[in-house]
Amino acid sequence: MIELKGIEKIYNRGNEKVHALRGIDLGIGRGEFMSVVGPSGSGKTTLLHLLGCLDTPTGGTLTIDGIEVVNMRESELVRIRRSKIGFVFQHFYLIPGLSVYENVKLPLLFGRTEKKIDEIVSLIDLVGLKSRLHHTPNQLSGGEMQRVAIARALVNNPEFILADEPTGNLDTENSEKIFELLDSLHKRGIALVLVTHNSELAARAERIIRLKDGRLQGSD
Amino acid sequence: MPFLVLAFKNLLRHRIRSLLTLIGIAASIAVLFSIISFNRGFERGLARELERTGIHFMVVPSGCPHEVASLVLHGAVIPKFLDAEIASKIREVEGIALISPILVSQLPNPVKNRLDIAYGMEMSHISMLKPSWKIEGDIPESDYEIIAGSEVAGHDNIRIGDSVEYTGEKTFRVSGILERTGSQDDAFIYMPIKAMQELLGKHERVTALGVRVSDPGRLSVVTEKLAGEVPGIQIVTIGQVMTSISNLASSAKILSLSIALIAVLISTVGVMNSILMAIFERTQEIGMMRAIGASRFDIFSITIKETVLLTTLGGFAGIIVSVIGSGIIEGLVRKFMPYVPSGKMIAFEPWLAGLCIAFSIIVGILSGIYPAWKASKVNPIEAIRG
Repeated sequence: MIELKGIEKIYNRGNEKVHALRGIDLGIGRGEFMSVVGPSGSGKTTLLHLLGCLDTPTGGTLTIDGIEVVNMRESELVRIRRSKIGFVFQHFYLIPGLSVYENVKLPLLFGRTEKKIDEIVSLIDLVGLKSRLHHTPNQLSGGEMQRVAIARALVNNPEFILADEPTGNLDTENSEKIFELLDSLHKRGIALVLVTHNSELAARAERIIRLKDGRLQGSD
Repeated sequence: MPFLVLAFKNLLRHRIRSLLTLIGIAASIAVLFSIISFNRGFERGLARELERTGIHFMVVPSGCPHEVASLVLHGAVIPKFLDAEIASKIREVEGIALISPILVSQLPNPVKNRLDIAYGMEMSHISMLKPSWKIEGDIPESDYEIIAGSEVAGHDNIRIGDSVEYTGEKTFRVSGILERTGSQDDAFIYMPIKAMQELLGKHERVTALGVRVSDPGRLSVVTEKLAGEVPGIQIVTIGQVMTSISNLASSAKILSLSIALIAVLISTVGVMNSILMAIFERTQEIGMMRAIGASRFDIFSITIKETVLLTTLGGFAGIIVSVIGSGIIEGLVRKFMPYVPSGKMIAFEPWLAGLCIAFSIIVGILSGIYPAWKASKVNPIEAIRG
């Protein structure tokens, strides 16, 4: 469970102060599928970064599973990222020199945790790439790369998956497939926060929240 | 897949760049290893040659000790002579086991129209004064026989049994040819001292006296006594000769080591530059790693491992190159250095190789600190945002 109360985020851009988020109150329940929509610069990605403990708010409180994270040390935030959160990015960010298997395994390396080969392979099978285990990213299509990125996000058994425009670089067919894959993860009980410009896909989430100028405009 | 494997795979992503950086490190470590190895070989060879001369000290006319060092090692021409009576006086001192007279001078060679450098000595003392020599043919038995150094023999196409004429009066038969020593010994003519004294008209006069004492433990007592009793002489022990040569060689050693260290420094900057470029290219990837659970230390550690891998592999490659190419390097050095002891100078010493590898690891750590710190400071948000 993630809970945000009165979240503010102010950036300094030169001498100018940029109010990225203004008084956000939000709760994300276990296994919930929520999409975040809004125009560019509305604060969607900033919100996602705060949820993912990549950044800390300027004001307000943010708790994950009842633990306040706002004043946490960097090392503690790293621990939360490793154990509770999985990221999926628009640009996939796979490591070119590593195989599909190695890319998926990468978070385990940072978490100093072990997983049986079979478990990792079945995860890759889950995203439909078992036959591509030893392929490197340059041998994969965009859709396949995003599948690898999803498998990588799942390898630490996270409670939340935060997806930032995961279909932004894909065609309609692949976007649909990736969405279905994410939806299937939600059905397995993983909470999903999807930031997207695609209103059609966003509408298929359990809940949509709309941001504008850093403020929560509404929630369906 | 530990961090080391990840670091290795990162290096493989830019093979040419990594290879060029590695070659830079390999070259500098090869130079460092070769220079240290050569210096050690030089000192060992020098000590070995001096120990094997079988004499404990040299008696020469008062003068520069460096001249004596040159005389002992490769027969310098010293324009001063000792009188015969000095040898008799020395012989009277208690504890002297043997005196070997040496006369070094230039001899006019009318046939070739040049000056040869001749080294006169008691031929029966050759095995003691020059224990490392290998002579093809025989050691002269009469005053009309000589030995030719390999270079002289090669240059003049001299063969055993040939005749050589000096000053138009005396003809000598070549009884033996000195096999190549790699030192300046190769450029001399060796003749019985009596014949040479006669030829030069310097009867009973010598350039130096090589002296062996009966009890090496009493060496200082004997030399002190000699210095007090025989005026106009200078006594130089083999130990002093070694120190003198070492002092002469030390400035060359410092210079060569400085060059090697500058080469290492340049290649260190090369490693730093190469890894910094890689870090800038991988900023987004580093941001992703931080997002999926990498700590700052993890990023620092991966980057340091990349530089250490590069320099360690470079270190190994450098040592292999140095060992394989030691013959060529030694040949070149022998060509340009005025004196190099006989025997192999560059030898593979495991501890020295280990030291160079350890040094290359330290270079890897030092060159990696800044790029690793830079990488660990990558802000994941800014990196992901691009």
